[in-house]
Amino acid sequence: MALNSFFNWFTGLFGKKKKIRLGIYGSPNVGKTTLANRISKDWTGEEMGKVSEIPHETRTVQKKEKIEISLSRKKIVLNLLDMPGISTKIDYRSFLKFGMSKREARQRAKEATEGVIEAIKWLNNVDTVLAVMDASEDPLTQVNITLLGNLEARNIPVILVANKIDKKNASPKSIKEAFPQYPFVEISALTGKNMKELYEAIASYSRKGK
Amino acid sequence: MKLKLDFVSSTTLEDKPRDKRINFILSHVKDGTILVMDGVMHPEEEMELIKETMRRVDEGFPGIEVASLKKPSKGFGAIAEKLSDSKSGFIKSITGKMPKTTLKTGLTLIGPAKYIKKIKKNPESFSVLAGI
Repeated sequence: MALNSFFNWFTGLFGKKKKIRLGIYGSPNVGKTTLANRISKDWTGEEMGKVSEIPHETRTVQKKEKIEISLSRKKIVLNLLDMPGISTKIDYRSFLKFGMSKREARQRAKEATEGVIEAIKWLNNVDTVLAVMDASEDPLTQVNITLLGNLEARNIPVILVANKIDKKNASPKSIKEAFPQYPFVEISALTGKNMKELYEAIASYSRKGK
Repeated sequence: MKLKLDFVSSTTLEDKPRDKRINFILSHVKDGTILVMDGVMHPEEEMELIKETMRRVDEGFPGIEVASLKKPSKGFGAIAEKLSDSKSGFIKSITGKMPKTTLKTGLTLIGPAKYIKKIKKNPESFSVLAGI
C-alpha cells in the first residue's frame, strides 16, 4: 500500500488531474447513503439521497460528480457513486412490517433486485471502493467476503469503513480483525466523527480514473 | 415437510462452464434443496451467482444464503491460483464466455433463504440454522 501511495503522489505531481470514481458498497442498511450525504454535504453543501430505516431505500445508483476535496497537502476530485445494497435475498414480505401495502412491497422488492444487479455491474466502472460495514453487526457475512474477494480479483483499491461507531454496541475492532489486510477507518457518518481520517485515506489509497 | 440436502462433488461442477454451473446450483436451490459443494467458487463467479439469483427472485423464492470455507493458499499455491484467475479473465475477454474453471479447495453451502434462517460464520467454521 505504501507503494500505491507513492505512485499516487508521484502521478499527482506530473499528471493531469483526474477524477476518482469512488463507489460506496456494502450490505443494505450499513449507512452508505448517510456516508454519501456526509461527503457530499461536507464539500458541496448538498445531500445526495434519502436515508431510511427500511432496507433497500437506494435502489438505483446515485451519482454526484466533481466533488473537490481539499486536504492540507493535496486536492482530489471525486465522482461519488452511492450503490444499492448488495444482498443474496430480497423478500417482499420483509417490507410489510414497515406499513407498506403488498403492492408497494412487491414493487420495492422488484426494484431492489434490479438495484443489486446494477451495483454489481458497476464494479467494472469504479476506481476505488469504500466497503462500508455496520460496526455493531457481525462483519463475517458472505456478502462482505464476496465483495472484498471481487475487489481484490479486479485490483480495485478498497478502504474498509467501519460505520456507526456512535452506537453503544459498536465494535469496529471486530471488522479490523476480520479483514486485517485492508486500509481501515472507523467513522460515524451520522455525527461526522473521523471523516477527516477517511478523506486522508481516500487521498492516499485511491486509484485515479482512466 | 422435509428438508433435502444434496452433497455435490467438485468433479460434477468442474465439468460445467460457469454459467451452466450457476444454473445447476440455482435450479436445485430454487426447488428447495440445500447444496453442500466440495469446493469454493471464485469471488467473481459468486458475484455472478448473486446477480443471477436476483434475476430469479419471486414470491416463492426470495433468494439464497451462502457460506463457504476456503483453504488458504500459500506460496506456490497462491501464485498458481492468481495465474489461473488471470487465464480465466483472458479467455472471457476474448470469447465473451465464461471458461470452465476449477473450484478452489474448500466447502460451500448454498440454500434457499426461506429455509435457512441464520448462518453464523467464523474464520474456520460456520453453523447453519435451517427450518421449514
